[in-house]
Amino acid sequence: MKRLGFYISIYRKIIIQDIKSKMSYRSDFIISMIGMIITDISELLAFYIMFLNFPSVCGWTYHEMLFLYGFSLVALTPLQCLFDNNWNLRHYVYEGDFIKYCFRPINIFFYFISEDFDTKGLGQFFVGMGTIVYAWYKLSLPVTFFNIAALIVALIAASLFMVSIMNIAAASCFFLTNSGYIMVTMNKFRDYAKYPVTIFPIFFRIIFTFIIPIAFIAYFPSLVILRPQEIPFLTWFSPVYGIIFFFISYKIWMWGAGKYSGTGS
Amino acid sequence: MRIKACVALTKASIMDFLQFRLSAFVMLLGNIIYLIVIYNLWRAIYASVDNATINGMSFNDTMIYLVLASAQFTFMEAYLVWMMGRAIQSGKIVLDLLKPVPYAQYLLFGLEGGNLCAFVVTFIPTFIIVEIITKGAIHIGVNILFYLAAALLGMIINFAIDFFVGTICLYTQSTWGINIMKEVVVLFLSGATVPLAFFPETLKKIALFLPFHAIYNTPLTFLTKGHEMGLGESFLLIGEQALWAVVLLIIGKIFWKLSERIITVNGG
Amino acid sequence: MEYVIELKNVDKEFKVLNRHEGLKGSFQDLFSRDYKIIKAVNDVSMNIKPGEIVGYLGPNGAGKSTTIKMMTGVLQPTRGEILVNGRIPYKNRTANAQNIGVVFGQRSQLWWSLPLVESFKLLKDIYGISDKDYKDMLALYESLVDIKELYSKPVRQMSLGQRTLSDILAAFLHNPPIVFLDEPTIGLDVSMKAKIRNLVKALNKEKNTTVILTTHDMGDVDALCERIVIIDKGTMLYDNDIEHLRSFFGAYRTLLIKTQKHPEELSDDEKNAELSKVEKIVKEDFADKDFTFSLSDEGWCSILIDENQVRLMKVLNHIQEKMKVYDVRLEEISTESVIRKIYEDAENLKKAN
Repeated sequence: MKRLGFYISIYRKIIIQDIKSKMSYRSDFIISMIGMIITDISELLAFYIMFLNFPSVCGWTYHEMLFLYGFSLVALTPLQCLFDNNWNLRHYVYEGDFIKYCFRPINIFFYFISEDFDTKGLGQFFVGMGTIVYAWYKLSLPVTFFNIAALIVALIAASLFMVSIMNIAAASCFFLTNSGYIMVTMNKFRDYAKYPVTIFPIFFRIIFTFIIPIAFIAYFPSLVILRPQEIPFLTWFSPVYGIIFFFISYKIWMWGAGKYSGTGS
Repeated sequence: MRIKACVALTKASIMDFLQFRLSAFVMLLGNIIYLIVIYNLWRAIYASVDNATINGMSFNDTMIYLVLASAQFTFMEAYLVWMMGRAIQSGKIVLDLLKPVPYAQYLLFGLEGGNLCAFVVTFIPTFIIVEIITKGAIHIGVNILFYLAAALLGMIINFAIDFFVGTICLYTQSTWGINIMKEVVVLFLSGATVPLAFFPETLKKIALFLPFHAIYNTPLTFLTKGHEMGLGESFLLIGEQALWAVVLLIIGKIFWKLSERIITVNGG
Repeated sequence: MEYVIELKNVDKEFKVLNRHEGLKGSFQDLFSRDYKIIKAVNDVSMNIKPGEIVGYLGPNGAGKSTTIKMMTGVLQPTRGEILVNGRIPYKNRTANAQNIGVVFGQRSQLWWSLPLVESFKLLKDIYGISDKDYKDMLALYESLVDIKELYSKPVRQMSLGQRTLSDILAAFLHNPPIVFLDEPTIGLDVSMKAKIRNLVKALNKEKNTTVILTTHDMGDVDALCERIVIIDKGTMLYDNDIEHLRSFFGAYRTLLIKTQKHPEELSDDEKNAELSKVEKIVKEDFADKDFTFSLSDEGWCSILIDENQVRLMKVLNHIQEKMKVYDVRLEEISTESVIRKIYEDAENLKKAN
């Protein structure tokens, strides 16, 4: 537990310094923020266009889908803000620079991840929250203590799944040389988390539930709030499963880092 | 001599690609899974309406369109803005400028080999799978030749836009933001995210007026609707693409020439 | 504890794919399962005492970095034993890391976007350095180099020299018993090199830190090392003090002669023909002596002469009697030549045994 306090205090200091230095590159900061928001808006627009042509998807209405979308955006924020350095991992490994993370008396995963705090993820958070509130209002969902608490727990669990999937995808670069495509592909999958898993045939439902658990990202947790009468049994396990899955992804990442031997001589 | 240098660059980029042998398999596998996801999604979407065709697009049409758009994205998107941004920030761009080939050509041919491989590894298998699943819904005839020409032109237009946007990075010092904005705008307005046929009228008009639809929408139209089009109409589309390609390449080149001095002044 | 580092019969092997040449070969590699085992480090043993500065030398790809990675706990040896500070490094990398400092080539380990002093403060927390030790260390640094002006500068804006300096200071910050410096002076100008050598020397004196230094620069070795270990193709060739190695330096001279007006315009075959002509002439008269013949980049014939065996002037006079010499140059023995000489001796020793 003392160790945990130690890591938190170091993390806080690194993040504060990192944000400070990022703010000093103002134009980059602003352009990135706008880029992020434009991305989200274009996706919302795509939704809108789709529902102009199709009144519902598999029995899911426009506003329900918006809720799912907003939910997945907010759940994405921790991944975007805190774990963004995973995207650089393969460059470090490929160019042999990863070695520098191996010489400190702290956890390598922590040391690597802590190096970058991605401020532009915050824009996404606000777009996502806005979408959730709008959909919540349009669906006239009740504002109860249970619903709010469920939303928060569900968001945390969903975040854990997103982070875990990308951790594993990033760690693939320890084993394959050019793993960029894995990250891009996984990122695309993660993107599909905003659709209800019931649209897939049973085989893929199993895969998306247990192997690449994108069903847990937005679908299962959102059901608790959207359709409390038809919650699958598994939903209640999603926080626990999220923690377990995160732990597994961490172990895979660390195993890969252990295997790493530097390409440079 | 010039052609020889270009061939060598292309060859080197192919070899570079094959060095990463496992990733070639992964790329193919990833695409197949992605294809299944998108298939099911749209089947569900179409299952929830009574009509078989919406805005002139049947389920098969939409499927073919979107799946091939994605496959086309994998072989066209070379993350050029990203590359240029990195080269600018790291100062590597100064070295690239020393090469005996103009920078735009150096980039184009350096990427082409990888694009070619991705075309073979992802696009062709995807194409075959789609053809089998839809029981031969893609008409095979002259339209394939038109497609290849249109795809090549689309690639050049995409390159020209990337090159233009990459040059902006010289001014902004921001790569990520510029890149993501470009990607989103291009994918959306080119009809790779949602087929242009589904767009509301005004938005469709705007999109067709801009060059982006020539990257994805035009080549893909040859695959989905190619057999219904006359030769004249086909050539008109290709001509429009070619015009865009030339105009954009020239604009890109001029913009680069004007901006190059930033490197010579600041040393990258 | 008598030794801070002990290596006993250490081997390290890597499995690599046999790659084929050309475009066709690249396609073959797509399906190839043709692996070979490469021995990067082969039966290396050494013991290092506290406070020593050891120069760890060898050509590129000799296995230096691999050895250092094993000593820092990043790599696990295939066979043999390594003890660093009495610990097995790879079994407890974190504990080992607390007691070593590392500077690895030009790869800065500092936080790229942070001002230097913030990096130092983070390191203070990470290594659990007490306020007093931290203050004392900074005071020591300030007395040795002009570090104050760098404090507020982000690492990414530093010059290579400033960055290397900062990295070295960061490696010593938690006062580890051992510091590994992998090519610390690579790419630096003469005055920066001198600055860095003085700094390392002073820190070693002040804190009795053991320093393991790999370098290609003999200037580093001269300035810092009391002891040298040479490795090539994974095998240890030499482990002795610097005085012993200097005797090689002292007695050897390189004689460069130009036997044609424009040797740089000759073809490779013609250059080699010139060299063998010279070789024949020299060997005629000094058959029992050892020389090393080679061609310089400009096509001059280079002869490495051991002056304990035969005077250089005697050799030169002899050549001039037999053939036309357009120009002559004398050089001290180069680093490469010393090392090459040591390999040759090692080879001969092997043959003799």
